[in-house]
Amino acid sequence: MSERITIKQVPLEELVITPGSACQGCGAALAARLAFKALGPNTIRHSIPACPDNVTRTPTSGGEFEAGGDHVTGTWRALKALGREDVQVVGFYGDGGVYDIGFQSISGAAIRNENVFIICKNNEAYMNTGGQVSGATPQFAMTTTTPVGPMSRGKPHSRKNTPMIFAMHGVPYVATASVAFPTDLIAKVQYGKGIRGFKFLDILSPCPTGWRFDPSKTIEVARLAVQTGFWPLYEIIDGRKFRLNYKPRELKPVAEYLKLQGRFRHLSEQEIEEIQRSVTEYWERLLKLDEIGEILI
Amino acid sequence: MEHKSFEVMTGNKACAWGVKLSRVQVASIYPVTPQTTIGEYIAEFIANGELKCELVNAEGELATQAIVKAASRVGARTFVCTSGPGQLYMHHPMHGTSSGRLPVVMATVHRGNKGMQPDHTDLMSQLWTGWIQWYCENNQEVLDSVIMAYRTAEDKRVRLPIAIGYDGYILSYTSEPVEIPDQASVDEFLPPYEPIPNILPDKWAEAQRGRGAGMMEGFMSGGGDPQAAWRIHHEAILNSKEVIKEVNEEFGKRFGRKYGNGLVEEYRTDDAEAVVVAMGTIASTARVAIDRMRSEGKPVGLVKLKTFVPFPTEDFQELGKRVRAIGMIDRNVCLGLGGAGFGELRRALYDLDERPKVLGFYAGLAGAEVRVRDIEKMAEKTLKAARGEKVDPIVEWAKLGGGG
Amino acid sequence: MIEVRLHGRGGQGAVTANEILAEAAYYEGKYAQAIPMYGTERRGAPVTAYLRLDEVRVRERDLVHEPDIVVVLDPAIAQRPAILEGLKEGGLVIANYPHPPELYPLGGNFMVSTVDATAIALETLKRPITNTAILGAFSKVTGLVKVESIEKAILHRFPGPLGEMNVNAVRRAYERTPMPIQARGEVRKDEEGPLSGSGYGLIRSAAGWRTFRPVWDLDKCTGCRICWIFCPDNAIGWAEEKPTVDYRKCKGCGICVNECPTKAIEFKREGI
Repeated sequence: MSERITIKQVPLEELVITPGSACQGCGAALAARLAFKALGPNTIRHSIPACPDNVTRTPTSGGEFEAGGDHVTGTWRALKALGREDVQVVGFYGDGGVYDIGFQSISGAAIRNENVFIICKNNEAYMNTGGQVSGATPQFAMTTTTPVGPMSRGKPHSRKNTPMIFAMHGVPYVATASVAFPTDLIAKVQYGKGIRGFKFLDILSPCPTGWRFDPSKTIEVARLAVQTGFWPLYEIIDGRKFRLNYKPRELKPVAEYLKLQGRFRHLSEQEIEEIQRSVTEYWERLLKLDEIGEILI
Repeated sequence: MEHKSFEVMTGNKACAWGVKLSRVQVASIYPVTPQTTIGEYIAEFIANGELKCELVNAEGELATQAIVKAASRVGARTFVCTSGPGQLYMHHPMHGTSSGRLPVVMATVHRGNKGMQPDHTDLMSQLWTGWIQWYCENNQEVLDSVIMAYRTAEDKRVRLPIAIGYDGYILSYTSEPVEIPDQASVDEFLPPYEPIPNILPDKWAEAQRGRGAGMMEGFMSGGGDPQAAWRIHHEAILNSKEVIKEVNEEFGKRFGRKYGNGLVEEYRTDDAEAVVVAMGTIASTARVAIDRMRSEGKPVGLVKLKTFVPFPTEDFQELGKRVRAIGMIDRNVCLGLGGAGFGELRRALYDLDERPKVLGFYAGLAGAEVRVRDIEKMAEKTLKAARGEKVDPIVEWAKLGGGG
Repeated sequence: MIEVRLHGRGGQGAVTANEILAEAAYYEGKYAQAIPMYGTERRGAPVTAYLRLDEVRVRERDLVHEPDIVVVLDPAIAQRPAILEGLKEGGLVIANYPHPPELYPLGGNFMVSTVDATAIALETLKRPITNTAILGAFSKVTGLVKVESIEKAILHRFPGPLGEMNVNAVRRAYERTPMPIQARGEVRKDEEGPLSGSGYGLIRSAAGWRTFRPVWDLDKCTGCRICWIFCPDNAIGWAEEKPTVDYRKCKGCGICVNECPTKAIEFKREGI
């Protein structure tokens, strides 16, 4: 499991080159800045179509949207063939590329236990194309393809539980993170970096443009997602050992998180209650796993 | 006389031998009939310690192509193979491989897209992906082509991927004696591959100087001219003809076999009034038909079209000055447009002051058997046209079966 | 035919303003063609849009290269000589600029009018979305489209309170915009990057993206590193236990202002 670090232990070295073209207050740009601090320069980064987060000093190799798992696989196998196993292979992809169109390829890389690190800068929709619904979009969220109207209440289905699905591949390391908890995020990247095999880190990266909140509130939103249990922070080793990384005595009401965002502006009290019930129920299940320390299936 | 080692083997095994002799470092495979056994042979070579290669059993052809593309970029020699539907599924990353100017070599064991039997529609459907395309007529040519392909693709004047097509079943599962070149000679013929640019972190800064910080594929390049990415890619393929010829010549010198001039091979075209043009195994059968007709005193010949992309325009223009009619046999049809070979051939000849007649024959689609007599009939019709007799229609679906 | 080029930033609504103008012109029996710049624009990044107005159907499908009128939605971009590129001799510039046209910094053979659309947007919409305010100025100065038609087009697109707020912005701008004068500023070359980008990769400077800039009161700073760690754009450095700031990299998102536990960072409107 990752070891707690303090803000003063965060490396001062920056791997990003700025200013880049990300929007003001972009959560994904911050996710890139923090994650690459921990990854360091001896890394080959892979990109697929996604929002521009931050350019990094690492070599960067672009590829097809649907083949994120394959790009890292090919790179890793070539490094192995060439005797350069010291180089970190990272796929830094959005939620569309991880949860939806590239899911098959990443599942393939996971089940072969390729020595790669998949990091998802998860902003819960296809923001690069203007904010269409993805498998990572939470239920009821308004997106441009799940609008709100007399016949529609936003996204009708819940989001895909992708971290758990990858954990069930039995891979060495799966974790969630949030840009509002940077030391936790960096500790997890540092821990993952030291493990040989498939690593997956899902970073909640709020998008002011798509979620419709003021760019100054990116961290506030990301923090409330965790404090309300809407985006729990946890890590799973070998698909089995489980730990919650953030356990408040009491969760904040999910309404505090929802009300900050335009994408949830349309919600009725009843719908908010429905979301609260499902968040609480899932949180209680995670607490049990945390107590046992294992996923018992 | 150098030591020669023969083995009776299928086309797929010949292909795997080509991979082994070329010391491929990363290969990625996925099952689809009739190419599946190539991957099995490679896996066996690796399991027996005869080949040191990272073999990725991927989750589909889109994956196999994307994997070898990434591996090639890092600097490994890579191989991938497919057939029919798998070829179609692979389409998108094929663009990335060629736009990235990566010397991946692929075997396409032909399988049509209507049923499981062979025709060339699988690889022909990839004409727009920017790959060099070769077509083979026997198992020896399959093995030799794999080795020649790496030498050609990795040549710094080329740096393009090459697809080697050969007919499914007709070659893939048919056994015949194949000479296995000796490893030391192949090693001398085929120097190690060096990637451009080198993207290893310790080599990166130098490689990227002046190229900007982010590297994406072709579509991002081109500077001020948005068309440059297409233009440069197109010209690179056209310019590969000279290297293809050169590699074929050198292969011939070293191994005692070559394939025409690497682009086309003329067979008994001396004084021919009419020639037929054929690709793949139809070219092999056509040799017999031409021999028979020549023994009857008929002035006909054959052009085997090995390199379809880049199209050997100059060779056909030169031929066009010598013969009066050409019959193009297409084992493909671009629906609503026609045979790919027929169209390209006519395009190549259009600028001649005096053009030969060009007839078209669809033959061998969906695995339809093309027999010696069938080709004789096509050549007869072409000869008639050469002699000024009226032929109708100009383009026909050949009546196959060898009878009547 | 009248050709117009609009300059703004992603999030200010240049594309929407363009479409509203086209719709308003259509209400008055004119043909219009509203073209957004092709590409992927980001919130804060410079964007360009084009408009043609005519009595007959517009058939040209290229971009506008020699506009009659240039409309600028952003006060920082309004000072960039690049906005004048191709402007016809004696053409017109309508700029969101906080000072009267006499003080407009660019010069040349063109007419100019200014309006503080950012202030109007902050008053009426509480956000610096300047697209509708600038339309009020456009109507007033050009007379090409009636203000009533613009209001109708806005209410058609944004029914309800949002539309009313925007109509309010249009009216205030209409009232406050002076008639154009001959430009009196300096004639000079543009030395910054292009006015619209591809949407990917590095940019020269993010300085113009800001409406507000963060300013540190180092006496209140406890050296906690919170502002440093949360800056998405690496604009905040860390030296001798205090933050340093690179305004070339700062996009003015305000995360540092919002997160600072001792409120040591003030968010000041950019002075022009």
